[in-house]
Amino acid sequence: MVALDARGKVLEVRLLPRRHFLLRIRVDGMEPAAPGQFVMVAGANQAEPYLRRAFSVYDQEPVGKGVVAVSLLGKVIGPGTAALASCLPGQDIPFLGPLGRGFRRSGRDGGCRGRAALVAGGIGSAGLGMLARALARAERPFDFYYGGRSADDLVEAAEFGRLSESTGGRLFRTTEDGTAGSRGLITEALAATLEAGTRGSTGAYETVCTCGPHGLMAAVARIAEEYGVEGEAAMETPMGCGYGACLGCAVELERGGYALCCRHGPVFDLSEVVW
Amino acid sequence: MTGDSGASATDLSTEVGPLRLRNPILTASGTFGYGLEFAERADLRRLGGLVTKGLSLEPLAGNPPVRIAETRGGMLNSIGLQNIGVERFLSEVLPGLAGLPPKVVVNLFGYDQDDYVRLAERVDPHPGVAAVELNVSCPNVSKGGIEFGHDPEILCNLVRRVRSVTGKPVVVKLSPNVTSPVALGQAASAGGADILSAVNTFVGMAIDTRSRRPVLSTVRGGLSGPAIRPLALRIVWDVAREVDLPVIGIGGIETVDDVLEFLLAGASAVQVGTAMFRDPRTAERLVDGLRERLQAEGVVSVGSLVGAAARPV
Repeated sequence: MVALDARGKVLEVRLLPRRHFLLRIRVDGMEPAAPGQFVMVAGANQAEPYLRRAFSVYDQEPVGKGVVAVSLLGKVIGPGTAALASCLPGQDIPFLGPLGRGFRRSGRDGGCRGRAALVAGGIGSAGLGMLARALARAERPFDFYYGGRSADDLVEAAEFGRLSESTGGRLFRTTEDGTAGSRGLITEALAATLEAGTRGSTGAYETVCTCGPHGLMAAVARIAEEYGVEGEAAMETPMGCGYGACLGCAVELERGGYALCCRHGPVFDLSEVVW
Repeated sequence: MTGDSGASATDLSTEVGPLRLRNPILTASGTFGYGLEFAERADLRRLGGLVTKGLSLEPLAGNPPVRIAETRGGMLNSIGLQNIGVERFLSEVLPGLAGLPPKVVVNLFGYDQDDYVRLAERVDPHPGVAAVELNVSCPNVSKGGIEFGHDPEILCNLVRRVRSVTGKPVVVKLSPNVTSPVALGQAASAGGADILSAVNTFVGMAIDTRSRRPVLSTVRGGLSGPAIRPLALRIVWDVAREVDLPVIGIGGIETVDDVLEFLLAGASAVQVGTAMFRDPRTAERLVDGLRERLQAEGVVSVGSLVGAAARPV
């Protein structure tokens, strides 16, 4: 798949609670992204920070022949994300993508036929948006586990609830302060479901896919191994270029050595990563 | 797309010692992979040359993460010379690059002098390799090439030994992390180098104020990008004036003005590095931009600009 090095036209910037934002960009000639793939973008005329930022494709829709409207869901955490959140409709911004390898076992053409668990921590939900929609379209049942510190961290929770429920699944929410869902960690909710599943004849899930803070994904990997469930994680590392040139985005592998998050990933098998 | 045939008035070709380039824009080692990473996103054919990621005798896994840290006007890296090794490069990568117009400069590094000699011997028979660049200045590998780049006597001896086993042009990439890059350049010249490239990255570091720990796993890394441009330019100016070898300028080059600055300071060509991460088409855009600029100013050759800022008015 050839990534498009082009410019995108900002269609809309929607500011959401707690410094979250949804950026919609119109890109001409882009190949549609697969669930889990990402793009490199920067603000219009942005001098600082110097490098582009990597964003999962949260959603996409065709808006004409060969034209795709790409949605990126983000959170302002520094000057790079601030520049994106302050983009104005009509502005041209640098755009490179789609990049990397997305979800394999559970993606568009993946082999998962059984029930899936999608586990997001905070803004990590952005990395699962395309996957949730693909599963819903394919009518493959999944539950969505959504954890955060506080209610405002669970952006787009209603959308993930709607998608999971359309497949017969459900949305689990946890917050550390108890302002939404149950108080606690989302990984505890996942473990509870899997534990209950062991009392049935089959496990509760055939696969688990996660995106979020490193600690959360490491915990998901531990739980998945414990219950014998295979799964994948959409990883995030510092990235210089996004396409395999700078070698900066190393992820340590269980088999030894490193893989580049931008080319081998960003989606990795839970079992292949040294957590 | 602008073809070279349309540039009759302005000749972008440049002679860098024995190395003839169709234009003075190369990509810097470590910022262009092996070239093929860019094949989908950049028009390789337009470049004057490309310098490969540093190659060692055996493949190297590189340093543990975190390997890069963005800083104001640039970035720190501590990749640790991750590479596929010279054999895989020669069998798998070089055939794909060798037929293209840009000159392929192979960057080599070793842990001791014998490594450099064996690497040079290994690439010497390959006609697709236009020159070798000796990385004697990487800040990210303990025991790496760094001591070669910091001691004039050792550097002179190393270059002499490499010189004796290859007929290809030998480029020595200078470290900026020394008291006198000029002294090292003179040592390389005495050893028989054909060309100097200046400069490699500046050793720096960054601290994560939230975790209160150094960002990079190796603490120190090499700083590149626009932040180092004036520092690199000063070294190119000094080296070009005081060492009797052609110079390839490197350091934060991103715009046509940047290219001109380095040419005027005495560089015969330039390498573009970190800017390629920001925009993979930077180098090819510079080729077009330089041609337009020189045509607009009535400059007929790149050579007429080289070192012009140092000549009396």
